[in-house]
Amino acid sequence: MTALSLALLIPWVAGVVLLVMDARRAAVRWLAVAALGGTMVALVALAVTVFTEGPVVMTTGNWPVGVGITMRADALGVTFALLSVGTLTAAVVHEALGTVGEREFAGLVVLLAVGLVGTFLSGDIFNFYVFFELALATSYVLAVYGRTPRVLGAGLVFTAVNLLGTFVFLLSVASVYRVTGTLDMARVAERMAAADPNAAILIAVGFFVAFSVKLGLFPFHFWLPTVYTSARPVVAAILSGSLANIGAYGLLRFGAGLLPRELELAAGALIVIGAASIVYGGVLAVSRETGSEMLAYSAVGQVGYVLVAIGVGGPAGFAAAVVYTIVNAANKTMLFLAAGRRGVVVGGIIALGALSIAGVPPAAGYVGKLEVFEAAIREPAIVAVVLLGSLLSLVYAFQIYQFEHWRPDAGAAPRRARWREYAVPLALGGVIVGLGVWPEPLAAVAAAAAAVLPGATP
Amino acid sequence: VNLVFALAAAILFGIGAYLVLHRDLVRLVLGVVVISQAAVLTLLAASLERGAPAIYPLPRVTLSDPLSQAMALTAIVIGMAVTALLLVLVLRVATAFQTGQLEEVAEEEVSLEAQLEEAHAEAREDEEAAAR
Repeated sequence: MTALSLALLIPWVAGVVLLVMDARRAAVRWLAVAALGGTMVALVALAVTVFTEGPVVMTTGNWPVGVGITMRADALGVTFALLSVGTLTAAVVHEALGTVGEREFAGLVVLLAVGLVGTFLSGDIFNFYVFFELALATSYVLAVYGRTPRVLGAGLVFTAVNLLGTFVFLLSVASVYRVTGTLDMARVAERMAAADPNAAILIAVGFFVAFSVKLGLFPFHFWLPTVYTSARPVVAAILSGSLANIGAYGLLRFGAGLLPRELELAAGALIVIGAASIVYGGVLAVSRETGSEMLAYSAVGQVGYVLVAIGVGGPAGFAAAVVYTIVNAANKTMLFLAAGRRGVVVGGIIALGALSIAGVPPAAGYVGKLEVFEAAIREPAIVAVVLLGSLLSLVYAFQIYQFEHWRPDAGAAPRRARWREYAVPLALGGVIVGLGVWPEPLAAVAAAAAAVLPGATP
Repeated sequence: VNLVFALAAAILFGIGAYLVLHRDLVRLVLGVVVISQAAVLTLLAASLERGAPAIYPLPRVTLSDPLSQAMALTAIVIGMAVTALLLVLVLRVATAFQTGQLEEVAEEEVSLEAQLEEAHAEAREDEEAAAR
């Protein structure tokens, strides 16, 4: 319980303090790293309790249970919180090692961590909305980090589209309250089964649209490429490595957790949308000419796998979705942080990322692909699409390598990246290989996370 | 009463959607504001019972549902904060591009990218010439 409070309090206080400090000074950026590190420690302590003793529940403000807002840490939430704060920490360490910075950066990233942790550990759907909005508000500001005209235009689109997405989410929250008379997730899940099916389907569609916009799935992806290509690499890494996790978590929590009947009903549609996302993202990524654009479209394609896995459902499907989200977040963070640099080591990192995206061992990407295969093995059509997607990703992933590292340097003499610029991507590469060589812990964590969803127990 | 609420929220959402689809950036912001009001109205309409204010509960009096009012208040505050953020963003775009029209922003971006392309092409030619 203390760990749960600390995981929120540390970044909250630190974020507010850091916001008034100047992050152009390296010391302040390291302070942000320390704050995120403290959050990580609290989360790890919490995770140990959750995985050994079961979910940790806390009711805020000493209200009696059933009246106060609940914070609820279960295996799924803790896994996503650890993943997101982990990638945020990597991004901030990378930024701290660099030389350029912007005034508000450190405070904003730490506040984003509050939003993410709160979202993942909230046991109340309205509280989920509040933290969701906090995470988004900081990301709106982060998206215009750098302040070139192009970033501003993209940031405006990002803000407007995601705001509309959150209002759709809010409409669904209101409907859930009307239908079930409660906001507590555990009780919503109980009472939803007795709800009017028509209302439940409308609610489910609202949640699906809200989280698909966040994930950047195929029909809702239109904002994504401009934002990811024009934002600074570190911001693109944060957006795709930690913020996009909200989408996958939301689909799992609200789809499989609260509305399992409706999820089953829509399984076919989800798989079709996911497959469309995989093929669309893959084809467009192949047709692009710069590394960052390819990565942006690849992000559209990769989330398709998560949706296919959720659509397949069952314990195997949900576990596959969790594994894929983890692996994809690590890949994207590493590649975005390494993008645009040169040198032998960076070339190696990009090659490793390419192998991981394409799903070639020993990089961790193959664990994710394998899980999706395993979940979908009884459906030959899905396996075919997943294979096609892998082939496309192999092509574009090596195109990235070709464009960034085989083409002679334009203009000025080639400048090799210094160790400060590739230390973090290299460490992430180590993690990716480690997870690929020894995937058992990853699979066990994902299975435990998926087991908390009622849709996973047939 | 519920039908009235539903109609009002639907009309607000429609007006908001119409404004969001406009090319004028300020209208885009106004559209988002109107849609947020539609969401707030839906929150209020979702209240489970209607009656006396919940601030001073007397016995045997139906109270209005305080929870949905609390949610509506929270949503209003959050909506105000993000609207302020969005307006600042529009201001930045307007000063950077010297226009409040989305079309002109897009044109400006296209011309910026064309410049970048040219620079790239020149660099490539230079390096090919150097290679020869």
